[in-house]
Amino acid sequence: MKRRVIIFIVLLAAAVGLLTYYKLFRQVPPERFASAEDHFLYGSVGTEANDGVPYWIWLALPRVFPDLLPGPGGYASIGVLSQEGREMPVGFAKRTIGIERVGINCALCHTGTYRLQASDKPIIVATAPAHQMGPQSYLRFLFACANDARFNGKIIMAEIDRNTKLSWLDHQLYKYILIPFTRRALLKQQRVDNNYGWMKDLPPWGRGRIDPFNPIKYRILKQPVDGTIGNADMVPLWNQKQHANTVYHWDGLNTDLNEVVISSAIGDGATPRWVEADWKKSDSESSLKRIRQFIMDRQPPKFPLPVDEAFAARGKAIYDRECASCHALGGEKTGKVQPLDDPALKTDRHRLDMWTANAAQAYNGYTSGYGWQLTHFVKTNGYVNVPLDGIWMRGPYLHNGSVPTLADLLEPTEKRPKLFYSGNDVVDPVKVGFVSTGPDGFRFDTSVAGNSNAGHLWGTQLLADEKHAMVEYMKTL
Amino acid sequence: MANTMTVLSTEGPLVDNVLQSPVDRYQHSFRRTWMLIKVALLLMVAAYLVWYFTLDRPEKHAEILEHFKYGSIGSEPGGSLFSSVGGVLPPYWVFKALPSVCPEKLPGGYASLGMLYEPGHDLPIGVSRRRRLGIEQVGLNCAVCHTGTVRATPASQASIVAGMPAHQLDIQRLFEFILDCSLDDRMTADSVIAKADESGGRMGWLEKLLYRQTVIARVKAQTVSLRNRIGPLLAGGVPRWGPGRVDTFNPYKSIQFNWQLAQLPHDELIGASDFPSLWNQKPRDGMHLHWDGNNTSVDERNLSASLGAGVTPVTVDHASLARIHDYIWTLPPPKYPFAIDTAGSGRGQLIFNEQCAECHSFTGKKTGTVEEIGAIGTDPFRLNSYTLLFATSQASLYPESEYRFKQFRKTNGYANQPLDGVWARAPYLHNGSIPSIWDLLQEPDKRPKQFARGYDVYDQRNVGFVSNPPSQSAFVYDTTVPGNGNGGHLYGAKLPDEQKRDLVEYLKTL
Repeated sequence: MKRRVIIFIVLLAAAVGLLTYYKLFRQVPPERFASAEDHFLYGSVGTEANDGVPYWIWLALPRVFPDLLPGPGGYASIGVLSQEGREMPVGFAKRTIGIERVGINCALCHTGTYRLQASDKPIIVATAPAHQMGPQSYLRFLFACANDARFNGKIIMAEIDRNTKLSWLDHQLYKYILIPFTRRALLKQQRVDNNYGWMKDLPPWGRGRIDPFNPIKYRILKQPVDGTIGNADMVPLWNQKQHANTVYHWDGLNTDLNEVVISSAIGDGATPRWVEADWKKSDSESSLKRIRQFIMDRQPPKFPLPVDEAFAARGKAIYDRECASCHALGGEKTGKVQPLDDPALKTDRHRLDMWTANAAQAYNGYTSGYGWQLTHFVKTNGYVNVPLDGIWMRGPYLHNGSVPTLADLLEPTEKRPKLFYSGNDVVDPVKVGFVSTGPDGFRFDTSVAGNSNAGHLWGTQLLADEKHAMVEYMKTL
Repeated sequence: MANTMTVLSTEGPLVDNVLQSPVDRYQHSFRRTWMLIKVALLLMVAAYLVWYFTLDRPEKHAEILEHFKYGSIGSEPGGSLFSSVGGVLPPYWVFKALPSVCPEKLPGGYASLGMLYEPGHDLPIGVSRRRRLGIEQVGLNCAVCHTGTVRATPASQASIVAGMPAHQLDIQRLFEFILDCSLDDRMTADSVIAKADESGGRMGWLEKLLYRQTVIARVKAQTVSLRNRIGPLLAGGVPRWGPGRVDTFNPYKSIQFNWQLAQLPHDELIGASDFPSLWNQKPRDGMHLHWDGNNTSVDERNLSASLGAGVTPVTVDHASLARIHDYIWTLPPPKYPFAIDTAGSGRGQLIFNEQCAECHSFTGKKTGTVEEIGAIGTDPFRLNSYTLLFATSQASLYPESEYRFKQFRKTNGYANQPLDGVWARAPYLHNGSIPSIWDLLQEPDKRPKQFARGYDVYDQRNVGFVSNPPSQSAFVYDTTVPGNGNGGHLYGAKLPDEQKRDLVEYLKTL
């Protein structure tokens, strides 16, 4: 009698265990995309296990909480891009870990659009800075949902039920476990001592910008919250083969491309164990190595309008004389850190001060025990002289995206716009950059901390005609 | 069993044999049987309730025309009892009762909105019945917007043509009336049940109980929610759609995605366009469908239109839709029912082949392709109401299923339509802004600036419907209203009048 009871209990426990494993932890290999570009846009970089939102909740949220978004259109209202006919937006991967979950990937911040006219269909450029995207708005939307009383099994399930017929078991799982747990996880992430609470009182990132390292500092490296502002413009990822001798990130805090790829995935939420498994795979099987290859090979986009060749040739001569040593591929100082105390540089220092020697040391020590290592994190004293390939598609300019166009950047600080709107994707073919007159977009106020448009005075002394010629030439880069 | 003395032992209770008298045995067996009967009765009631509430009994017809007109495509509310989904019409008894509950809001009943009634049916064409969630429900099907009528004279009997644009139906007013009257204080369980009894309807006691307990309250709550979503598309929010027109995609933005319509640019909310014909779909597969050519798959187009009728991915009846797909795949366009001058039409055919066929015959090189808005020059509102953002959003509909939409694209113009049965597709252009083919062949300044829509007496000379009917109540279409422009499509406008007449004559034969 007793033995039978014990056997029954053991069997029951095994069944519950198996079911729990199957429904919450079973890893299914993610969809493999035939093209490298699709992999970059939609492939998984391992962020789903920790930070993934259960698919049906992710689908339902914008439909349940449209009032918490800045406008109509669901996630698109915060700058998320979609291609016609594709199920997932750019930068979001779907992967099954027990249940289907949605996580972000590199393309969320590194795929941008441009148009020549407001009435044109935007052209999506993989690896371009996502100057239209507001990643902080995405986070804040999720947090706002979690703080809303409507985030409950009844209301969210009502929306899910309109879209699919879940099995009885999945229905209960979503209603009583996944929805409350997702809510709790988001609230936990939001709290000050744990992750994103720190950003509550800091200037907003806006469109096309992110504070890429403070989340890592606090969340992964467990550094004390120090109130620094790391808001920085999103960068292009193209043409990395040609960037072989450069250091990476605006302040050059890492010097190794492999480490930059890996640490960026970790910053996005990939787990070290996933990285461990992925990095052991062959070049064609590993998700991160496939992305590394893609960004090495992908060429910057060509300027989409005719360029005045003769005028540009005049500009090239000036560029070669004034800019090339720091900004041409192969330039003597290109890809190296320019000390911020150089009187001609003196751009906003918040981004530099955000990164600390302690953080660099912590990141280098973070990986002990794993097969892959991070060893190249350093603390620098300035900003990198970046190569300017595809510069027409990289506005607004400077590391903090504080100057809307190239023509503005060639003006002395006091003549640069103090207020403009970022996030628009209509090309300004004259000043080169994106139209920034609003009213749509993020109101960029250069008087806010971290947003200063001062500094980088090279070229500001040129004659107006020389500046025009140089801007014409820079379209061709 | 209070009088049973029991003795406990290590093996369990012992019953004292002394008490096992015949009377006791009889009592025991009686009690046991009674217990079994009670359990069996309970089980039967439970089984009945499960059957009652999970029964999904659609209106189906073996005969396909009948099925097209009255069969259910799953647009009635469904899902589960605790969270019902889908549907844009209230339950059967409410739908039936509304016109008499609010008589002053719709004096002529549903027929006055252009819904078509046939003998032997208590519901109009396009309204199907389905028992789901324990009550009789109704929903819309394809035929509501795609069945039209035509008459030779005011005195003649209207013939009903399946697959023809429902040019007589004012669906915007239908929605307005249903929303308005459903929320009227007079719409109560008592009034609905009284109307059902009056009409001799057979409403079960359980259904009456449900109406009193939950149905009416739920209908009111869902009506408020629906009105909040599509309110900006109703009276006062946008220009009147008028009979024969619908804004296909704007309601969809709010109903499927819950976009807040008031936040969209107001011009985007003006998207009313003519109902199209549904016949002869086979040669259309692969062509750009919808007025702006936003999809090339007949199947996706059908599923998308079904969403508009109120289905959800959960409630849609794929088997029923497959039958309708097969039906409209080969349904021939209706023959022109009046006289044709064959000599004139013969001459007109030559003109058509030279001037129109490239874009409008099934074999034309550009037929079914999208003509850029700059080239065609017709009213842009409908085109602009369908945005890239919406096209990309549609790819998340029917998620996680083989039916997920993959073909929707934003275009920059209007599609060149094949002209089969064009005589029955008046008024013309995507927004139905020109009453007849004769008028369409005129320069824009000679096209009627105002005309009546929705009247079904045929204008055999100009090909279209009579647009200056005697009735005072006709809807007057004003081409100066945003979205109603009658400019553009200048092809043929320069032809001499006699050639235009020949061309019109030929177009009757398509």
